[in-house]
Amino acid sequence: MVDIDPTEHEIAELGPEVNQIDDVDELEAMLALEEDGEDRQPVKTLIESRIETLEADDEAVDPETVDLTDLTIADIANLVRDVDDVDVLEDMLEREAGGNDRKGAKEQIENRIDSLEGSGDEEPTEVEYVPPEEKYPDLDHPTADKQYVEGVSGERYRDMWVYCETQQGELIDVAKEMLGKARELMDEYNSDSDAEGAYGGDEDGEPEDVVAVVIGSDVEDLAEEAVAYGADRVVYHDDERLERFRHKPYTEIYAHMCRDFEADWRDYHEPRYNVFPATNNGRDLSALVQGELDSGLASDCSDLYIENAMISNPAKTGTPGDSREFERVLHMPRPDFSGFEYSTILCIDKPHRDFHPQGASVIPGAFDLPEPNHDREGELVEHDLDLPEEWFQIEILEADQLDEGVDLTGNDVVVALGRGIGDDPTAGIELGVDLVDQFENADLGFSRGVLTASYQFAGHVEQYVNMERQIGESGQVVEPEVYIAAGISGAIQHKVGMDESETIIAINDDPDADIRDFSDYFIQGDLFEVLPRLTEAVEAGELSAVAQEASDD
Amino acid sequence: MTETDDYEHYEAVVVGCGPGGAAAAAALANNDVETLVLERGVDAGSKNVSGGLVYAEESSPYTIDDLFPDFREEATERPTTENYIHNVAGDQVASFDISSLHHHDSEWSDAVLRRKMDSWLAERVHEMTRETGGGLLTEVRVNGLLRENGEIVGVTTSELDPIKADLVVAADGVNSELARDAGLMDWEDPDEWFQGVKAVVEMDPEDINERFGIEEGEGHAHLFSGDLFDGVRGGGFLYTNEDSLSIGTVFHLDSLTEEEAEPHELLDNLLTHPLLAQWLGDDYEELEYSAKLVPDSKKAAHPSPHQDRLVLVGDAAGQMQAQGPIIKGMNHAVTAGALAAEAFVDAKARNDPHAAGDLYEQKLRDEGVMEKLRPRSYRTLGKLAEADPISKVTDAVADSAIGRAGVNLLGPGILERLFSSPRMMAVMPDTRTPYVTIPTIIAEELGERVDADNTVEPPELDDRIGDLTYDVGDPHIELVDNSFEASGTAVTACPVSAKDFGGGCYRDEHVKTNGSEEHLVSLDTQPCVECGTCAVVADTHWEHPDGGKGVEYKQG
Repeated sequence: MVDIDPTEHEIAELGPEVNQIDDVDELEAMLALEEDGEDRQPVKTLIESRIETLEADDEAVDPETVDLTDLTIADIANLVRDVDDVDVLEDMLEREAGGNDRKGAKEQIENRIDSLEGSGDEEPTEVEYVPPEEKYPDLDHPTADKQYVEGVSGERYRDMWVYCETQQGELIDVAKEMLGKARELMDEYNSDSDAEGAYGGDEDGEPEDVVAVVIGSDVEDLAEEAVAYGADRVVYHDDERLERFRHKPYTEIYAHMCRDFEADWRDYHEPRYNVFPATNNGRDLSALVQGELDSGLASDCSDLYIENAMISNPAKTGTPGDSREFERVLHMPRPDFSGFEYSTILCIDKPHRDFHPQGASVIPGAFDLPEPNHDREGELVEHDLDLPEEWFQIEILEADQLDEGVDLTGNDVVVALGRGIGDDPTAGIELGVDLVDQFENADLGFSRGVLTASYQFAGHVEQYVNMERQIGESGQVVEPEVYIAAGISGAIQHKVGMDESETIIAINDDPDADIRDFSDYFIQGDLFEVLPRLTEAVEAGELSAVAQEASDD
Repeated sequence: MTETDDYEHYEAVVVGCGPGGAAAAAALANNDVETLVLERGVDAGSKNVSGGLVYAEESSPYTIDDLFPDFREEATERPTTENYIHNVAGDQVASFDISSLHHHDSEWSDAVLRRKMDSWLAERVHEMTRETGGGLLTEVRVNGLLRENGEIVGVTTSELDPIKADLVVAADGVNSELARDAGLMDWEDPDEWFQGVKAVVEMDPEDINERFGIEEGEGHAHLFSGDLFDGVRGGGFLYTNEDSLSIGTVFHLDSLTEEEAEPHELLDNLLTHPLLAQWLGDDYEELEYSAKLVPDSKKAAHPSPHQDRLVLVGDAAGQMQAQGPIIKGMNHAVTAGALAAEAFVDAKARNDPHAAGDLYEQKLRDEGVMEKLRPRSYRTLGKLAEADPISKVTDAVADSAIGRAGVNLLGPGILERLFSSPRMMAVMPDTRTPYVTIPTIIAEELGERVDADNTVEPPELDDRIGDLTYDVGDPHIELVDNSFEASGTAVTACPVSAKDFGGGCYRDEHVKTNGSEEHLVSLDTQPCVECGTCAVVADTHWEHPDGGKGVEYKQG
């Protein structure tokens, strides 16, 4: 009996049906029905080909006995893939040599033997590793003589290392931000939760640490501080010659800490992760250190997380067509094309060559500044290494500190001067400064028109005339309690820099000046007369009275 | 090997994606020439201003809709179906229908707003040039020519590495930095330039139809001359867009500077004239204030606009025809761009691609473009009439009883025909006579009083500036000599500066030092609209802002 009588069906329907039947007898019966009935050649071909397929599966070729001369090289390649017994393969090789003696066929068998002998119990890989120097002898191999292009594999890596940059004897904010983030990441990493980044510690279930690195002069206190911000262990190198960042010694020290430093807690080859700040110095150091350690670097990252990653790139998996899941991969998203796109960078080992530590530099401000916990406990480890003089061949002769700039925000009172001072700019600034001095928390600002003018100022007020004091669209935006605008007409570009101020007092001799529309008090008059009176009034504690009197609002 | 061998190379680099650059790029792409187009604006058209009529001439070998099918449907405003010129004296106005002059040799003419038009063109250009292996890049400012052994071989930019090309098309506008780098154009003589300012005024399409007495798909072009511009040589225009009006004024720059006139005030004179009340209504809403320098092709059109591999196209070559009421620029830029492309293809076919410049010059002549731009009749008759003593005499004659009698004798019909004669307009000298004196007399003698009440209150200059969008980068103009004597003219002539206005680009300042007082000019490029006026009238080192920086027009 058959389930399907082919004569009752169109050929298009039969195709899928026939290919689901595994019983050769049933197929034979169907074939007979078709021959007796419709006898359509395509239908018979369909059924016959299915029968053939099933029979082919059954008559598995025995590599020990098969006549190799009947097989093509491709058949042999397919055949040897399933053979795990080297003796059988050796026997095949002999038979081929005694038979057709095809070079291609022998290679297939030899390769299979090599792969079995080479890989031991591991899953056999199809791509055999040949060092690049041997594989491409005609090319340059610039890394061939590099001591630390190691190509190691299966080494042990642990811990998240954070480079804590210092400036002026303090940890910079981004160092603290990174420590906070590292703490968060490693707490989850060490936990047994269901989260994707939770591994319950290292491969042996031991928790991994946040290791802070502090390099500089007189930095032991800063090492303590790093613990407060989340480090389990701080490795620090103290040397007065390290007062300022210098490429050579900093790179050598950091790389030595990662790779060669012998300490009982550091029983691993290199750090698992290295995180640097994307500051000027941090960018330099991160590239140099990661290069020295023969790994990669994702620079200017805006986030970090640890997860498994499914990778299909054969350069990484070693087997074309296969995907492999890599564990504990640091995911490093970073903005591309000025932030139009984000890429997530992964730094992944490949067969015969490890890419560890997985390295990132982090944009300052990308992570929240954590609250320090000064009760936290951690281990301080002083790094021990003689620093040869030749690392210090570059000498810092002079250093200058840039002005911090003028910050007008946060003042209670801002006195702003506009082109109304043009008749006597120096006197105008003196009057402005006099008024500023009446308040505890006040400063002087300017409209753009003053700062781009050709005014000449006497030496004692010139210090104030600085683009940093500009208020408006292309300058600072201020919201003080009281904003006093003297001789400013109030163009829209200025307005956006100050109209959120609590109380706006404007002084202008033009009653139609735009600023009148958004002032709380408008004093029509010459600022050279009004400002001294205001100063007097404030001194006498009568500001509101004077303003009220002068105002027509 | 020289180090320039490493630079990227394209067959053609087109600088600027206005109509001239777009036409060149399209024609190059049509001929499978690998073409890269570089545009410094955030978008094509964001830097571009025109009065607003684009023409397709019957006599021209290329029109913009030949190169860009659907151009009129997609990129233009209303077609001009009627043209008028108004001669104004006080509130006396004599209006003539000059549609026949404008329809002469015109297949069509449409009002346009350049942001919309140019950005539409740019999309087509990108599609077309990408097929050739090139494409369009915006926010890239070409800042000079790349030379090898003294010969032009490409361009340098502020944003990218230098680029080599077999053909460099400078379609970078009236202030072309490439034309100046090559020494082909300068900013020396104010009398080679016009300055135009324009207000785009929002208006409901229904209101436009009603106020102008037109239907959808119809449009007006009005020109204004006479005494409403304080004696400054020039005139005004008004064009109808889909849902706005373009109203502007164009003056000879030398006259503007001589009279120390404020361009924005002259525009206001037009906007507030009683004649315009009928069109502007009571709900004046200005969308955008803009300004532009316009080359006077009669004097500025370069007769041989090429050097080595460089060809100049459009405004960059001074190819802007302004003869009385005929103001045509974009169509000539299109023709020139396409001819430059044609020249390159021909030159390539002759296996001498670097000879494109000579072929281009020849084509400009053979196709009659040069004759339109620099008419022979003007070179003989017009120039003569501009010689000072003669123009004074002409002026006096026109204003004498005899002259007046003449106007009356001729009567409106003949005058209308005269205004409508393209030959007459090409001869017209650049003096007060045709711009101010004659229209004023015509209006006085033949005009009718307009007594409508114009309620328009144009925005103050600071509000006009405040409504423009800028990205202030580094100052791109350097004031070389800040004495009032050298650069003071900019205070009035600059369209975003004014006497006693502290918020503009140029401010005059009296600075007291050690007991003596100096009269100086200071410059703040923040409100700069990049028109180039100060490059001509003041002592500056003038460059465009870098790609994507500076003013961004939304209407244009």
